[in-house]
Amino acid sequence: MDVSQYLEIFIDETKEHLQSLNEQLLVLEKEPENADTINEIFRAAHSLKGMAGTMGYKIMQEVTHKWEDVFSEVRNGKMKVTPDLVDVLFKGLDKLETILDNIINAGNEGDDKCEELIAQLIGFVNGGGAAPAAAAPAAAPKKKAPAKTAAPAEPAAVATETKSEDSSKEKFRQFKYADFEQHAINKAIDEGTNAFGITVYIQESCLLKAARAFMVFKKLEEMGTIAKSEPAVQDIEDERFDLDFSMVFLTKEGADRVKQAIMNVSEVECAYVSALSKDEVESATIKEESAQTDSGAADATATATENKPTATQNAAATAGKPVVNRSVRVDIEKLDDLMNLVSELIIAKNGLVSLNAQQDEVNHAVGNAMGPQIEYLERITTNLHQSVMKVRMVPLESVFNRFPRMIRDVSKSLNKKINLVISGEETELDRTVIDEIGDPLTHLLRNAADHGIETAEERAKTNKPEVGTINLNAYQEGNNVVIEVKDDGNGIDVEKVKRKAIEKGTISKEQSEVMTDKEIIDLLFKPSFSTAEKVSELSGRGVGLDVVKTNIEKLGGDVEVRTVLGGGSNFIVRLPLTLAIIQSLMVEIGTEKYAIPLGSIQTIEDIPVSDLKYVQSREVIHLRGSVIPIIRLNQILDIESTKGADDNLTVVIVSKGDKLAGFVVDNLIGQQEIVIKSIGKYIESPKMISGATILGDGEVALILDVNTLV
Amino acid sequence: MAEAVAANSVESKQYIVVVLGSEHYGVDINFIDNIVRMQSITRVPKVQPYFEGVINLRGEVIPVMSLRKRFGLEPDEVTGKTRILILKPEAQGSIGIIVDSVKEVLTLANDNIDKPSAKGIDDDKANFLTGVGKNGDELVSILNIMEVIQDKEEEE
Repeated sequence: MDVSQYLEIFIDETKEHLQSLNEQLLVLEKEPENADTINEIFRAAHSLKGMAGTMGYKIMQEVTHKWEDVFSEVRNGKMKVTPDLVDVLFKGLDKLETILDNIINAGNEGDDKCEELIAQLIGFVNGGGAAPAAAAPAAAPKKKAPAKTAAPAEPAAVATETKSEDSSKEKFRQFKYADFEQHAINKAIDEGTNAFGITVYIQESCLLKAARAFMVFKKLEEMGTIAKSEPAVQDIEDERFDLDFSMVFLTKEGADRVKQAIMNVSEVECAYVSALSKDEVESATIKEESAQTDSGAADATATATENKPTATQNAAATAGKPVVNRSVRVDIEKLDDLMNLVSELIIAKNGLVSLNAQQDEVNHAVGNAMGPQIEYLERITTNLHQSVMKVRMVPLESVFNRFPRMIRDVSKSLNKKINLVISGEETELDRTVIDEIGDPLTHLLRNAADHGIETAEERAKTNKPEVGTINLNAYQEGNNVVIEVKDDGNGIDVEKVKRKAIEKGTISKEQSEVMTDKEIIDLLFKPSFSTAEKVSELSGRGVGLDVVKTNIEKLGGDVEVRTVLGGGSNFIVRLPLTLAIIQSLMVEIGTEKYAIPLGSIQTIEDIPVSDLKYVQSREVIHLRGSVIPIIRLNQILDIESTKGADDNLTVVIVSKGDKLAGFVVDNLIGQQEIVIKSIGKYIESPKMISGATILGDGEVALILDVNTLV
Repeated sequence: MAEAVAANSVESKQYIVVVLGSEHYGVDINFIDNIVRMQSITRVPKVQPYFEGVINLRGEVIPVMSLRKRFGLEPDEVTGKTRILILKPEAQGSIGIIVDSVKEVLTLANDNIDKPSAKGIDDDKANFLTGVGKNGDELVSILNIMEVIQDKEEEE
């Protein structure tokens, strides 16, 4: 059976399920009795099992199967969620992630059979099942009852494989009916209609189970009405069932015709059809009282009664039914193509704009009909670009959601108490940035947990709350997205860094004396510089912050630190919102044209030379209360300025965070939408140039990287 | 086309012969994506000195180096014959090299190419050549393109 075409969907969905399991487990750890969470986990494990089975991934199937067993016990109140169990479950989750990685990278599940893990899970099922019975013998008989009623209602996976007799295959016999269903069936029987219980088995090789099931339903609906189905119709449509589904069917036709109709649908393995009697239905109907009395665990009752009005089937199938999502999965490559086309379009449009400008000069703009049309075109291309950008935007949540789990593990292994507070996870970033930002952030967070937050004892000494806090916050600022990783730990000890740097020979003693604190802290981002006293498993291997910095710079962003000794540190990561097309100000320096991203520009000033002041032999200007350093772009870029020494300076004030700087340029050309292109391999592009763009007249202009220059 | 020819004659390869001053150099035709006339080049500050800058080739930004500067010869004098050879050594990543002129396409059998002798050619340049081919009376130095475009010394 060739399932490779489904592999991508499988991978995507498995990732989603694993993520959801991760989140739910974290909740469960805090609220071990939360019935919704337990059901949600059960459901996710069940779906995973089904998917893995279809794809032929046996190990994954086995592990998730055991998960399902565990949670089936928990759900039935036979087992309590203990911290030990959660640990093993987390371990299992990691295993599943490893397996998925193997599937993605190597195409198979890898060699680890997870036997130990499976054994542990089985141990919990066996041990856990016995413990409450022994502890509370009086409650045991009571507890058994609900367990039995719930168990058969599960989308049974275990039962079918072992037993082969017809009776067990006729799963409709295990139906539990709600009152209203019983009434409907009884009424139909009274009216002389046949009530059939039907269980349909679909061939194992069938790939579009939902479609086949739908065809069965359609055929049947031509002949009568379906009074009840298990799993629910919605679940069947969403393919949330194994290989079989059962229903109660009311029809005037005979059993043979019904069976014939079902068997006519292709890929149906077999179908069991038999008449139901009133008694049978009645005996299987759940009475209100029984649900009230029989459950010992309060939570179980709550779920049972909650679900009653909607359907009587198992809670898992109905509890977490997702709202139908009107969305399409699109290959990122297709989006990239689209983006490239939009880029081309904008270049072509810029060409038209500059042609039109030339025409205007020739014709003195009398009765030029092109103008309005070109403006129209400009508007459309800008909107088109924004729409495509929006499509590519992904909320940071998809990166952030893995961190609570990580911090939990880290704090356990470090024996520190850490509370991670996430905010701004709805902030959106381009997909390509999202894919790359995970690792640097992981590193910063680990750093904060390992080096930043002190141990509980140390915290107690300094009158800090025992539990350390790490804030992970994201927000948009102009054309940038800022992500802050802030801890309330001890902050960076500048003196310690200084000592270490001298020790390592990174700087000399003389150098250290003239360096500002900020410069010293920036040393942390130098390769192979780690101040961790001990090399721990988490960080301190000396390949930390420099990697973070290079990774972030690769994305066109930058990272800075603010720290207060004793008060904590704040790592601020700044990333460009988009990687492809930006609004920019075109300026002229000498005879060359450069683009400055509009997002970083504050104002443009005309400054007389006499206003220039000198601070530490650097040129600055005093503007509206702030002292702004002046950067003469022509000097940095090795260009002869066309301006005389006494002319007024045209200064473009740019900002990076709250830092300002003034770029001196010769001329302003105007605002333009530009497409960022790499200036190519082989050429060692200087850091102050973030890329190149093609102007309307076909010339190439370079884009200045404000973050490096400021 | 070029590949088909190369495949048929097992022992020989095709080269584009370019002129640099009084010398002839051969460039393996498989590396060549395009040959364009000299066009306006945007200077890029603070790069390796032999890079002239970047050009726009049908919407692609491509860095361009001067082969003369790379070899430490006199700077280019742009004439009507000056050409930029667009090389595509890898699927992503093109690079242009400026030459005085492009002469012809030459098919050279492998045994017509002598390995460069250590003597006579200064060391700096020797790395850039894979051999010297004989085309009638003329000698054609075969360029080692990867060596020319990669900057080993400064990369470290």
